[in-house]
Amino acid sequence: MAIIEIDGKRVEIENGRTVIEAAHLAGIYIPHFCYHKKLSIAANCRMCLVQVEKMPKPVPACATPVADGMKVFTSSEMAVKAQMGVMEFLLINHPLDCPVCDQGGECELQDQAVGYGASASRYQEEKRMVVHKDIGPLVCAEEMSRCINCTRCVRFGQEIAGMMELGQAFRGEHAEIMAFVDGTVNSELSGNMIDLCPVGALTSKPFRYTARNWELSRRKSVSPHDGLGSSLAVQVKNNRVLRVLPVENEAINECWLSDKDRFSYEGLNSGERLTMPMIRQEGKWNEVAWPVALEYVANALSQVANCAGAGEVGALATPHSTLEELYLLQKLMRGLGSHNIDFRLRQSDFSADGKQAGVPWLGMPVAEINTRDRLLIVGSFLRKDHPLLAQRIRQAVKKGAQASIVHSADDDLLMKVANKAIVAPDALTNVLAQILKALAQEKQVAVDASVQGITVGSAAAAIANSLAGGERVAVLLGNFAQQHPQAAQLQLLAQQIAALCGGSFGFLGEAANSVGGYLANALPGANGMNAAAMLAAPRKAYVLLNAEPELDCANSQQALSAMNAADLVVVLSAYKHHALDYANVLLPIAPFSETSGTFISTEGRVQSFKGAVKPLGEARPAWKVMRVLGNLLDFAGFDYDSSEAVRDEALAGMDVSAQLNNTLNRTEQTTAPHSAPSPQPPVLAVFQRVAEVPIYSTDAVVRRAVALQKTRDAAAPRVMLRSEELKKIGVSPGDQVKVSQGENSVQMAVAADDNLPNGVARVAAGHAATAGLGAMFGILTVERA
Amino acid sequence: MEKITNFFNTFLLLELVKGMALTGRHFFARKITVQFPEEKTPQSFRFRGLHAQRRYANGEERCIGCKLCEAVCPALAIHIEVAERADGTRRTTRYDIDLLKCIFCGFCEESCPVDAIVETRILEYHGEKRGDLYYTKPMLLALGDKHEAQIAKDRAADAKYR
Repeated sequence: MAIIEIDGKRVEIENGRTVIEAAHLAGIYIPHFCYHKKLSIAANCRMCLVQVEKMPKPVPACATPVADGMKVFTSSEMAVKAQMGVMEFLLINHPLDCPVCDQGGECELQDQAVGYGASASRYQEEKRMVVHKDIGPLVCAEEMSRCINCTRCVRFGQEIAGMMELGQAFRGEHAEIMAFVDGTVNSELSGNMIDLCPVGALTSKPFRYTARNWELSRRKSVSPHDGLGSSLAVQVKNNRVLRVLPVENEAINECWLSDKDRFSYEGLNSGERLTMPMIRQEGKWNEVAWPVALEYVANALSQVANCAGAGEVGALATPHSTLEELYLLQKLMRGLGSHNIDFRLRQSDFSADGKQAGVPWLGMPVAEINTRDRLLIVGSFLRKDHPLLAQRIRQAVKKGAQASIVHSADDDLLMKVANKAIVAPDALTNVLAQILKALAQEKQVAVDASVQGITVGSAAAAIANSLAGGERVAVLLGNFAQQHPQAAQLQLLAQQIAALCGGSFGFLGEAANSVGGYLANALPGANGMNAAAMLAAPRKAYVLLNAEPELDCANSQQALSAMNAADLVVVLSAYKHHALDYANVLLPIAPFSETSGTFISTEGRVQSFKGAVKPLGEARPAWKVMRVLGNLLDFAGFDYDSSEAVRDEALAGMDVSAQLNNTLNRTEQTTAPHSAPSPQPPVLAVFQRVAEVPIYSTDAVVRRAVALQKTRDAAAPRVMLRSEELKKIGVSPGDQVKVSQGENSVQMAVAADDNLPNGVARVAAGHAATAGLGAMFGILTVERA
Repeated sequence: MEKITNFFNTFLLLELVKGMALTGRHFFARKITVQFPEEKTPQSFRFRGLHAQRRYANGEERCIGCKLCEAVCPALAIHIEVAERADGTRRTTRYDIDLLKCIFCGFCEESCPVDAIVETRILEYHGEKRGDLYYTKPMLLALGDKHEAQIAKDRAADAKYR
């Protein structure tokens, strides 16, 4: 510990920290641009110059480590003169175009020029001009003359996002920030550069010129996308969401936000929004008033339940729905007498149902990921599915943790991966069994009977070796593993592996309310049908909450044909979508920004939020819609005044953290032999499908976010095959091929990806271009179109 | 003694003479009444009357939609909407001044970084029905175009004091 004195205030701080940190601890503000607490020290803006006793010249506070007995003066004559001088230099080449600059009003340079600069400029000569750049659809670099070369964006790319997409080229006066030649910024975290930029050089493209920051009111909310539940500040003007910024929350998103959370707001203002209840009458869609629509739905549902039996009604909800919505949906269905309700639309293996000890969750607090020293990540498109969790794992790896990957695709995670086993989907359980066996041998404990006969490969042995050497191990199952047809077996093996290393085991929650769905009991239970069963054996009536079956379900074609065959499809959706073809009623409901509700994040954090704006048009919060439906159907207990009342009932007497438990009880079924998959039949052009849900196709809101849909990550999906397999089929990258799955087929372009395992074709799901195919896992044939 | 003074004051009608002297002074003084509308009072070049929006000599509108006038307006009389024009510049798509709210403080003019919004010498204007005094961007620009010569002269006269 060092005790130093800043402006006469005594501060106690650990050795090795810097003067600026000590000052902030003491509540003394030192002006700065290039310093950022999450980034490395650059000390190139020189704004934080302070006077230190016995030092002949002013020193940069951000790069000066504290020393015991140090006396620092932040506003002495020397310090003030230094700050004035630096500010004058910074402003020499700054265009001072604040009136047209989007940063105006929230600009660090503007504020500090007022606070620490001179009142007028002495500079008469010509200013430097930097050519503007186009670095993609999200980040606007149209006015690079404003740049003060603090290199925060460069360091962010290198250190946080993991890839250096912006860099500083040239020297001296010619130094400028640019992307690589004809390069764009494609990171899934790129929006954070906008927040980091202390001036208006990097600004938000979708937000460009729409509003001034003083016009916006700031409402707190929770991200409705991935399982992390990032804290959002939704900025609103005239009842319209114009911007989303992160709220600093060290336990969840730190000060970052993924682009999906940041830019998806455009989807909230989409032209596809459903604003009036609609009923299809004689093949034509008519806009009707709410009472008519609700009456219609109540009558139709009770008619189906009474005539065909309640079991003929099924409800499908996405895990992006709030806890209240899911709870009321299941209450409504159970009121009708049907237990057919599910929110796990992309899951294909439900054999763990009834054997789970609790609600599957992350297995540890999010913030603890950084402290793990060994991580095994099974079946996850980590960077795209969980951008900020991937960032945390990247930080852990930087500090020396070893991350091992078991997966069916080898995407660049932008971090050092210690070991990886990239195998076809049907060999995933085998690899985990190998790891389990190798680990048992390593730890010298009895090998589990179910994995006795397994031969351990070198990759598995290396992973086991890495895990065995760790003290704080985490085994994490990603979306791919949860959607896998042998998900229960994967879970059991992962659980055993984690138990052997004494580590934690968890799921990377797919959506904002993946945990909340369980707690709301939006599950079929023992008497109902799960999502897959409901679609495999089509029901007469469906209620869809936020779901677009052909994009959100594991088997898109099966889901679509079930919808087409149904007599009654009631759609509660914020958008007009494909349901216009098969639905009978469309009820406009409010997306997350327009309703109050609760998301329970993957770490089990219960986060309630209020609506930021009023619902668009005649749209109404879904919990209110379902409350009225419950009243119309004369069900007891549907008299809620607020979403809080619904939440309190849903979580009544429940200790959420006590409910969280990943343990899967062992049964015969879940311990089926993990034999190595039989070698591929020598049939040409038959592949196992590896399907990711592209990052900007995960849910209804993101799919309609215009700027996100222009990014490289949202490009039309292609079939990815190994290049030798392309040759075998006789096509070259870029050619159109016919991809068939069962009797369904689509035409799409083909591309080579030599990181894929043999016999695997990677075809994205959740996208309109591939909705013509079947299940996310299965056999595909690829042939020349 | 006081009685005697009062007696003579009353007797000699001194108060009346004083009053009549005042009347007489004003009777013969120079008249300052202005016969409006035939005659007009002189105006300062800083006169704050009806608003106008100016253009540059090449016909380009000056306003860049920085919204400083909207922010500074104490009466909340200005409403601006901004968008990127096809050529990439920042322009207003809407610039309204509600003259019924306006208190003619001149802050908008003072805050404008490009001298786009100005207050002219015009003080005779009226509205016949509701909404007539809600001036929109085309109306303000038209006013600016019409009176540009006078506006420019006034700005030039004021320039040395700014």
